Order: sequence, then C-alpha cells, then structure tokens
Amino acid sequence: MKTLKDMLAEARQVVPEEGPAEVAKRLAAGEKIAVIDVRDPDEFRDGHLEAATNISRGFLEFRVGTAVSEPSTPIVLYCQTGLRSMLAAKALKDLGYPTVINLQGGYQKWVQSGLPTVRDVPLTADQIQRYSRHFLLPQVGDKGQRKLLRSKVLLIGAGGLGSPTALYLAAAGVGTLGLMDGDTVDITNLQRQVLHTTADIGKPKVESGTRTLKALNPDVNVIALPTRITVDNIMDIIKDYDLVVDGSDNFETRYLVNDACFLAGKTNVHGSIFQFEGMATVFAPGQGPCYRCLYPTPPPPGLVPS
Amino acid sequence: MIGTIQATETVKLVLGIGEPLIGRLLTYDALGMRFREVRLRRDPKCPLCGTSPTIKDLAVHRNGAGGACDVSADGHGEAVAAAVTPKAGG
Repeated sequence: MKTLKDMLAEARQVVPEEGPAEVAKRLAAGEKIAVIDVRDPDEFRDGHLEAATNISRGFLEFRVGTAVSEPSTPIVLYCQTGLRSMLAAKALKDLGYPTVINLQGGYQKWVQSGLPTVRDVPLTADQIQRYSRHFLLPQVGDKGQRKLLRSKVLLIGAGGLGSPTALYLAAAGVGTLGLMDGDTVDITNLQRQVLHTTADIGKPKVESGTRTLKALNPDVNVIALPTRITVDNIMDIIKDYDLVVDGSDNFETRYLVNDACFLAGKTNVHGSIFQFEGMATVFAPGQGPCYRCLYPTPPPPGLVPS
Repeated sequence: MIGTIQATETVKLVLGIGEPLIGRLLTYDALGMRFREVRLRRDPKCPLCGTSPTIKDLAVHRNGAGGACDVSADGHGEAVAAAVTPKAGG
C-alpha cells in the first residue's frame, strides 16, 4: 500500500512547483493562466487570491472544464499549505492537462509573502437579484460581480460623457465611483447631461449626480469631488482609484489626465465628442500609446472650437 | 454613445475580459451613423511614454495650455492627427 508520502513524491515527479513571487509575477504580467483554489468553500471565503476560482478538491475533475475552457491554458492550483493541491495537480495531469503548476507553500505562504488577497463579503439577497443577469454571463458571473463591487473608478467630468458613463457603471455595480466636476448645473446642460434634472439647475453637478446614482443603485459608494482637476490635486486623487475615465471637455485637462495617469500607471478610458462626432480609446501605460502619441501638441487655439 | 462605450470599456478592463480599445481609436459619426477604427501605435519619440521621455513629472502643466506647447512638434503623429481631428467637447 502506498503512503501519503509516496503519493506526494510521485506527484512531485510530474507537477512543477512555483513560489508565490513567481505566480504573482505571471499574474501581474497579465499571463493567461487559470488559478484554482482547491480548498473548501469556507476556507476560500475567509480569503483567497483575487484571480482564483474555487473548486474544492472533491469536485475538481467534475468542474475543472468550467474554469479552464482551453486545456492548453496553464493551471495554477493551490490549497492552504500546498499538499492537497499537489495531489489535485497530479489528478489534472492524469486527465491530460499539459501544464499544471502547484503553488508552493499554498495560500499560507502567499499571505506570509505579503501578497494581496481578497475576502468575499456575502452578497445580500437584493444584490443576488439585482445582478442576476450578470451572473448568467459566464464572463462576469459571481466572481466578476465581486470584482466590480470592489473596483474604484474615477470619473473626470459629470457632463455629456460622464453622465451616461456614470449611470451605466453605477447600474453595473462598480463599488466606488469618484465623481469629479467643479461646475453647477445649467439649463443648457440638460438636453444631454442625463445625470441632472430641471430641479437641479444651479446646484453642483456632483451633488445632483450623486443623488441620481445613489437612487439608481444604493450599493455604489459615490465620492463627490466638487472641484476642477488641477496639476496640484490630480496625483493625490487618482492614487485612490483603479481606473480613470476622462470625460473632460478641454485639451488642457486631457493632457493633464493623460500625463498623470501615465506617471501613476493608471489606465485612462478616453472619450471626446464634438457636435455629431466622437471618439473613444483606452490609454494603458506600458501596453499601448498615450494621448501624446496621438496628438503630440495641443491644436493651436481657434482651430478646434471648444 | 461615446459615454456608454467608455462605460463598457471600463467594465471590460475591471473584469479583464474581451479586447479593450488599447492601441485602437474608435471614431463615431452620428450623422452618417458610421464607426471607424484607426490603429494607434506607441510613438518612440513621445515626450511622455517614448524611449527618451522629456516629461517626467507634471511641471509642464504649470505653464498652462497643457504645458505641451513647449514640446517641439516634429511631425510624428501627424498622419493620425490629420485623419482624426481632436474633439474639444466632453
């Protein structure tokens, strides 16, 4: 009869191990890997790697196909200390998955290495209903909804672009929305800036915006920033957010947002409109061009109406 | 339309799904009801994200007008800029 020691030794012959730092590096580089937490659901709930899907050991062979649609995708397995997942990894190798890696030292070592973890707060009954259509989408699901609820997005401008963006992000359950605008609502805004209503004329846009967004989805923590973005406040503000949406209406701000996002390593979701035309793109530092690659210098005053 | 595209891109980026508009400029013409896509490349001469950047902090913005006016225009980016006029409005 084989001992546990024999089984582990056998598994180690075919399953390579990687430490927390190596796995963290793969994840940070955006590598397409599937991370599976094979612990029991209660262990998972108490804290796990953000990228992980929970399939407890007993169900692994049955459900691995749902987490790994393309068998050639490298799979990283982990448990609490790295033993259960070693045996689990051997089982996946036996099923024919070509690249299966065991997280050496498991979740415990990951935490000891000071790497980030997330803890799932249970969704309320209302949330389960509100986001039920998201749960039906395999690309979103329960895991994606939790990601949205944990995410922090800064909206620069609560005007023509910021209004629809803010409404859709709040509806989708983005957990924290920073709403930044120094203007007050004017009657001429109302034909397109759908965050604000006639009763809001004269009020700060972030005030009416906050009220509209909270009414749409009380889950969302709206942070009202009733000020213009400036060279003096931008770095301090964007550091608290995962992502910036530029809905500003002038070139000065756009260059400022571009430069600050690049320097802070934040992705900038850019949009602009004029009359019947518009454009949108994403500036992701290190992954693609920035606004200055597109427009090295601002257009001369007078060329483009503002 | 553009605002909802920004919202969709934001959700995709948060979830890490699909193909975000990185390196692609999507233009929208409401009257013709046409979308166009322009490939964008990183400019190695970009003063911010190029190989030898001259902008290393936000000091240029203290001079007003995006501070970008003192950056010499040497023609890079013109092809795209000519195809797509920057939009002023928000």
